[in-house]
Amino acid sequence: MKRHCLIKYLAIIVLTFLFCFTSPPAATAVGLFGAPQTVSRDDGGLNTAIGYRYYEDVYNDAADIRFRQNEVYSQVAYGAKNTWEAYARIGVADLKIEDVFKDNETFFATLGAKGFYTLNDQFGIGAFVQGTYYLSDFNDTVSRNKKIAIDHLWDVNCGIGFQMTLACGTRLYAGPYVYYSEAEMSLSSRKATLGYKAGDFSLENKSLAGGFAGLDIPLTKGFRLNVEGQYADSFSAGAAISYSY
Amino acid sequence: MKNILASVIGVMFFVIAACPCNADPSNDALSSSQPPTTFKLVLSAKENPEKTTNPLDEDYHEDENLDEYANNEIKEERVDIADPLESVNRVTHQFNDKLYFWAVKPVAQGYKEVVPESARISVKNFFSNLGFPARFLSCLLQADLSGAATEARRFTINTVWGIGGLLDPSSGKELNLQEQNTDLGQTLGVWGIGQGFYIVWPVFGPSTPRDTVSIAGNYFLDPVAYLNPWSARMGVNVLDKVNAASLRIGDYEALKDAAVDPYVAFRDAYVQYRYKRVKARQAKWSSSPGPAETSVPANPESSKRGQ
Repeated sequence: MKRHCLIKYLAIIVLTFLFCFTSPPAATAVGLFGAPQTVSRDDGGLNTAIGYRYYEDVYNDAADIRFRQNEVYSQVAYGAKNTWEAYARIGVADLKIEDVFKDNETFFATLGAKGFYTLNDQFGIGAFVQGTYYLSDFNDTVSRNKKIAIDHLWDVNCGIGFQMTLACGTRLYAGPYVYYSEAEMSLSSRKATLGYKAGDFSLENKSLAGGFAGLDIPLTKGFRLNVEGQYADSFSAGAAISYSY
Repeated sequence: MKNILASVIGVMFFVIAACPCNADPSNDALSSSQPPTTFKLVLSAKENPEKTTNPLDEDYHEDENLDEYANNEIKEERVDIADPLESVNRVTHQFNDKLYFWAVKPVAQGYKEVVPESARISVKNFFSNLGFPARFLSCLLQADLSGAATEARRFTINTVWGIGGLLDPSSGKELNLQEQNTDLGQTLGVWGIGQGFYIVWPVFGPSTPRDTVSIAGNYFLDPVAYLNPWSARMGVNVLDKVNAASLRIGDYEALKDAAVDPYVAFRDAYVQYRYKRVKARQAKWSSSPGPAETSVPANPESSKRGQ
């Protein structure tokens, strides 16, 4: 019976992986989602993390615009009972569009929460929701009199994660998520630049769904390493090291 | 005019760094009947077999019997410090005392009422983390490489996983990286430079010429000192001092109330505390024979004893 359950949950995880990495092009979201189960103490406690992620996404207006970002962030979270966690992040990110637009060091803030339900000793299922807002705009002068600004970039994501606990407390997780992101883009030139319209207009992510998978590995003395990949239009990946108080 | 007024107010808050911060309430106050320019702190009598000149010892004959017993069991050492500026020091001590009771304490009490203790401890952790450069450099100058490495690890971990130093995961049971309680004054002590004479700085409090180097050195090694404009720097410093005072309201009062002569009590406490800190650093360094702390060049009596 137990073996049957194991096979069933393994099948779910494998199918999730297949869904994530073979689904049609979709947008990715900002920030690692992490394992569905909190790493905080059972009786409640803080955990903090520092993370990095390379992120690639396609936004769409009249034409596809490919965003590339490097994000570095610091996270503080509070969780309890191995079932729930609320977290906040603050970080900096750059933004590169094609080979024309580039801007550095814009701050972003993220708030999120996750819940987890334990199915048995090894398996569990969880859900999360998180939102990110960039606190200032990205801008760059793309030619002598032409300036592009990306302002009010934000996103919201929610998803479901399946988790399997491996040896030594390592957690393998994967799941699908849905996602929406929006930004305002303004061109200071009347002339068309990069094929975009002049003036102010809104950008949205091209697709709505993606998948993620990752590992959360215990290190030493309360530290854990989280590596995660997200796939939609392109592959994004990141890592975070957390410390549980 | 506004700037001058603001800077005067800001400087007033620095008094928190004065008397209470280095005081050790466990020390006994010496009698005010001591010679005016020198006081003596009994730490080891083994090196001082001659009769003490402290009038208190003459009064309590039964203690002499105890001392005879102690000579066989406990190593003691006498540490002297000259106090040639006692009359001036007493005035500045009084000034600092009034500054504490009239300005710093009321502000710290108000701050304590408004800000919960956990937040105040986080602020203390933050400023302690900013003190990393001075401690790290002091460890290096003392050839204490393990201490320097501990400080570097603490700084990295507390900055990255301690939310910029607000939390102190390094001191936890698992990591157990304790802060190296050292400074440039102790570094000079480890290298054999005596503490000199006792001096009470207005606002900064008890010190010696050697420890005054710490005040100057820490200023240049403190990241806050490089904040601009000056009003921001002053504001951050005031926050640091008020926060620190709010966490130890009562310590200063306890020592003061227990003392017959608070000036002497604080001098005693300060010198003993600094002496023990230097000894502790020397002990850590003693795998290679470090120079012993010389006592007080300014005090001819101690020179005779070869301290």
